[in-house]
Amino acid sequence: MPILTVEAAEGLLKTLEDFLEQSEASFALIIDRGGAILSQHGQIPPFTDPTVFAALAAGSFAATRELALRVGETEFSALYQQGRQSHILISSVNEDSALVTVFGPKTTLGLVRFYSVGAAKRIAVVLEQACQASQIPIDLDGSKILNGSWETFEEPASRD
Amino acid sequence: MSIINYVNKEIQFKIVYYGPALCGKTTNLTYIHSQVAEAHKGELVSLATAADRTLFFDFLPLNAVVVKGFKTKFQLYTVPGQVIYNATRQLVLRSVDGVVFVADSQWDKMEENIESFKNLEENLVRQSTSLEQIPYVLQYNKRDLSNPAPVHYLDYILNNRSTRVPSFVGIATSGQGVFATLNAISRLLLQKFARENEAAAKHQSQPQTSSAPATTALSGIAAAAARR
Repeated sequence: MPILTVEAAEGLLKTLEDFLEQSEASFALIIDRGGAILSQHGQIPPFTDPTVFAALAAGSFAATRELALRVGETEFSALYQQGRQSHILISSVNEDSALVTVFGPKTTLGLVRFYSVGAAKRIAVVLEQACQASQIPIDLDGSKILNGSWETFEEPASRD
Repeated sequence: MSIINYVNKEIQFKIVYYGPALCGKTTNLTYIHSQVAEAHKGELVSLATAADRTLFFDFLPLNAVVVKGFKTKFQLYTVPGQVIYNATRQLVLRSVDGVVFVADSQWDKMEENIESFKNLEENLVRQSTSLEQIPYVLQYNKRDLSNPAPVHYLDYILNNRSTRVPSFVGIATSGQGVFATLNAISRLLLQKFARENEAAAKHQSQPQTSSAPATTALSGIAAAAARR
């Protein structure tokens, strides 16, 4: 799992900024295949929670990849959803992550696909370095988890 | 392993509710969603059949502040319990940090509980991990039904590994045991995180011969904070 140090996080963000500028897509997310967001940039589509979006994208990509495997395809690099106004392209970055792009009528699938290939390669390099990084210790002084007992989520009955 | 983002100051954990069909996994998430304050929860998404059976997964994101200065995000997933959906369960288990195994307490469901637990172990092995490495807790649900097996029997068949894990009785439809279970798994995850953090701190405090990447990154945090 990557450790998103400041360098790694800024490297991913810069890649997304460049990618959106070149492709004229509106929103891009880097997700891990488990459904977690590693980085995001651009205009979040209306009424969309990026966390939910990432979880659904990871599920959709994984399910379609399984389908492809079952018909004998060993390569599965991208998944495209064509809508009326907004389209979604999910591109494989490496075995553990994917690039999700939302784009509208300002651009075309061909352009987004073209630039997504280069972006995915750059993202893969940053993530490979991030995977080799050591965890940076966090100062836990004053954190709840150092106390003897704590509840992360309050029981409804114990509320005032 | 949890995902730590040092720029956004976020730690993310993925928790999967596992168990046989109709044991109450989705009911756990529905109850949590109904009780957690708006500020601490996202949308509950269910990918279900027309008959409300989980087809792919349910998903509920929660936020908490337990590590000073960091937002802690818990992503709760369920798997479909029906035997035929094993490929889907494997997908949902990917990058899992912690598991809640929900068992159905009814006597006639014991075989399904055991099958599902074995299936969990097998699917974790496929991901090159195991219950020795991943924190998990047990919930014995449906205690309100007429023929529940005794808790000690459920412990005997499901909690008989070398290290016994926390187990909770539950009636998820009324919320009994739901938060106790959620808090137990989140506590185990955070304790594991704290241990890893301590190990990282020890490693960092050892004399280093070359320029330390962690120090560079910490300097980066300060630089990024200054830019903001």
